Amino acid sequence: MSNSTKVAEATGRKARRGRKNAFTSKDRAVIAGLVGGPTLLHIVFVWLPAIATILLSFCQWDGIGGINNITWVGFKNFTQIWTLYADFKVALRNNVLWLLVFGLIATPLGVILAYYIDKNLKGTKFYQTAFYMPLILSLAVTGIVWDYIFRVNGLVNSLLGKDTTHAIAFFGDPHKNIWVVLGIASWRHIGYMMLLYLAGMKSVDPSLREASAIDGAGEWYTFRKVIFPSLRPVNVIVVVVTIIEALRAFDLVYIINRGKNGLQVLAVAVYENILGESARIGWGAALATILFLLCLGPIMVYLYQNFKRID
Amino acid sequence: MTAKEKRENMSDMEKEGVSRRSVIKGSLAGAGAIATSTVLGTAGASKASAAAKKQTVSVGSNQSDPAPRKNDQAWVAAATAAGFNVKLNTVDHNTFQNQISSYLQGTPDNVFTWFAGYRMQFFAKKGLATSINDVWAKIGSQFTAGYKNASKGLDGKYYFVPTTWYPWAVMYRKSVFAAAGVDASKIITWDDFLAACKKLQAAGLTPIALGDKGGWEAMGTFDFINFRTNGFQFHMDLTAGRAKWTDPRVQKTFANWATMFPYQNKDVLDLDWQAAATLVLQKKAGMQVMGAFHASIYTDPADLADLALFPFPQIDPKYGREAVEAPIDGYMLSTSAAKNASASKGLAAFIGSTAYGNAVLKVSPTSLFSNSNMPKPTNEFALSQVKLVQSCKYIAQFFDRDSRPDFASPIFANALQKYLGGGDPVAIAKDLQAQWDALPPA
Repeated sequence: MSNSTKVAEATGRKARRGRKNAFTSKDRAVIAGLVGGPTLLHIVFVWLPAIATILLSFCQWDGIGGINNITWVGFKNFTQIWTLYADFKVALRNNVLWLLVFGLIATPLGVILAYYIDKNLKGTKFYQTAFYMPLILSLAVTGIVWDYIFRVNGLVNSLLGKDTTHAIAFFGDPHKNIWVVLGIASWRHIGYMMLLYLAGMKSVDPSLREASAIDGAGEWYTFRKVIFPSLRPVNVIVVVVTIIEALRAFDLVYIINRGKNGLQVLAVAVYENILGESARIGWGAALATILFLLCLGPIMVYLYQNFKRID
Repeated sequence: MTAKEKRENMSDMEKEGVSRRSVIKGSLAGAGAIATSTVLGTAGASKASAAAKKQTVSVGSNQSDPAPRKNDQAWVAAATAAGFNVKLNTVDHNTFQNQISSYLQGTPDNVFTWFAGYRMQFFAKKGLATSINDVWAKIGSQFTAGYKNASKGLDGKYYFVPTTWYPWAVMYRKSVFAAAGVDASKIITWDDFLAACKKLQAAGLTPIALGDKGGWEAMGTFDFINFRTNGFQFHMDLTAGRAKWTDPRVQKTFANWATMFPYQNKDVLDLDWQAAATLVLQKKAGMQVMGAFHASIYTDPADLADLALFPFPQIDPKYGREAVEAPIDGYMLSTSAAKNASASKGLAAFIGSTAYGNAVLKVSPTSLFSNSNMPKPTNEFALSQVKLVQSCKYIAQFFDRDSRPDFASPIFANALQKYLGGGDPVAIAKDLQAQWDALPPA
């Protein structure tokens, strides 16, 4: 560690201590309230249910009656989900596909759109609105709209002149439906990513661009080497959002066919197993725990890496 | 129309040690076929004391689709006219079904729509229903032994008031069959059936419309082919887990089913039952194996008059056409009914009476009622349903009523879709058995 950092750290510590001493007891009470209140809510409504879910994943329970009706079964739910539950592997595959399509296609497309719109081309406002439009609708509404477009007696099949018996099975064919759904999800995701990057680009200091132009850098080179790296805070958000959106995918699939015919995703599998009169709480909780770990893992690694570098 | 639960059904009789045959008799009488001509009118209702009537009774209903909702409104109006203070809470059908456990454990309505059979017994066993022996003391004379047994929990107490029922069969349009030169009354054996399919195909139609988007719709076809191939007893053993899915007889059922595939629409997994039924209505397809609620999409009376049914054809002559599926719908009292017991039970007695039936009959003339005192149906389609059930020796529930719900809907429904999507039946059967074995003890 260099001397200068040591000095910086020391002064930082001193500064912090100094500030702390400046607080009156009233200030401290206000701060405690402002920090403690949300923390308490967060613990009660996020962490306790999450921990309860993890605990329930080790049990068999139909959700009726008290805790004394719970049978603890250890890791049985997890081993059976892996060995017996064919839908799990389908769901896992679909969530991974979702992540790959979002990460490799939808998000880069969003960046490209943002890049061009940021250049204030003719009709920028129109494009901006058009691409952002899908985000105004909730995913559930999006699902219903696209269901009417692609269902066997829907718009596309009608335009193709195919009646119900000869229609193209967009959602019924396990080889096709996930790609159709990913197309729909991307349609929405691209606009979201575009918006995030557009906001980021607007905040990039124009002098950076000028300096780079003066130095003779081409437009694309400037974007790659100057603009994009300066968008790091946006990149962090985008990566986290993309991972979460891909893993928590629920609405579209649920609306279209409740995860039947090879369209299953983890979130729908959790829902379908926990709800209903034949509730398999333990089984569903085990699926939810797997989903939770999947979401947590990559995000924690990414955030840790990023903030470590920033520090 | 209440899609999924329109086929819910009767009780798991074996658990009660009641023979299937007595249930059949029950259903027949309920159909009004052997009904006495005495009409007791509002017998149940008139017995409710004036004081009890003033208390509000809330009714939770899953009948959110337009046609059944009209039935609800009709009988609630009749109950109000009879002096009851009824508050009807209609909830979206799927939401109601999905949340039933938490609903019954929370603050449920006093009376709620439900189904006879495993599902009723399940909640009775869990202590989430109020027993209604005193209601049955009033309405008992209006129901046959089969219905009485179908309304009892495993503890022998009454928990359920049956209202309506309907059978499953092969639905077709008379004009379509006539144009293709097919005589439905001559379709007895499997060869007859396939020959009829060929004729319909030659006439440019899709012979059989099947939709299995939800996963449950094709269970009806599976049940029938299994009855016809391996007999009623094997089917009941299989659904209850006494027989194994790896039994070679299961493969015989799948093999027989496969002979129907060349005559079926291609996009089975993309159609729900209404979309498949619409193909029959629009004369694009010849027939559909469906519950009698198939009729609910026929809005034009002329189309409805053209609708008919025939029993699912025989496969093995040893078993003939002796079995049919005919589920029962009705009402139960939740635990909250304890707070206004006399009013809730008074309303339950009303629902069991002919006053309920007559009110519903006015808006839904094809409904078949469980109450023995309801007049015999005059509608031809309704009569054919009664006749169909009369001709059968065994009455089954629907697959998801004869089997554990945690097996039927998530596991078996998926397996059927896999099979209809071209999956290997041997692997599917093996997987089904493995998943059955992994379920917690019932």
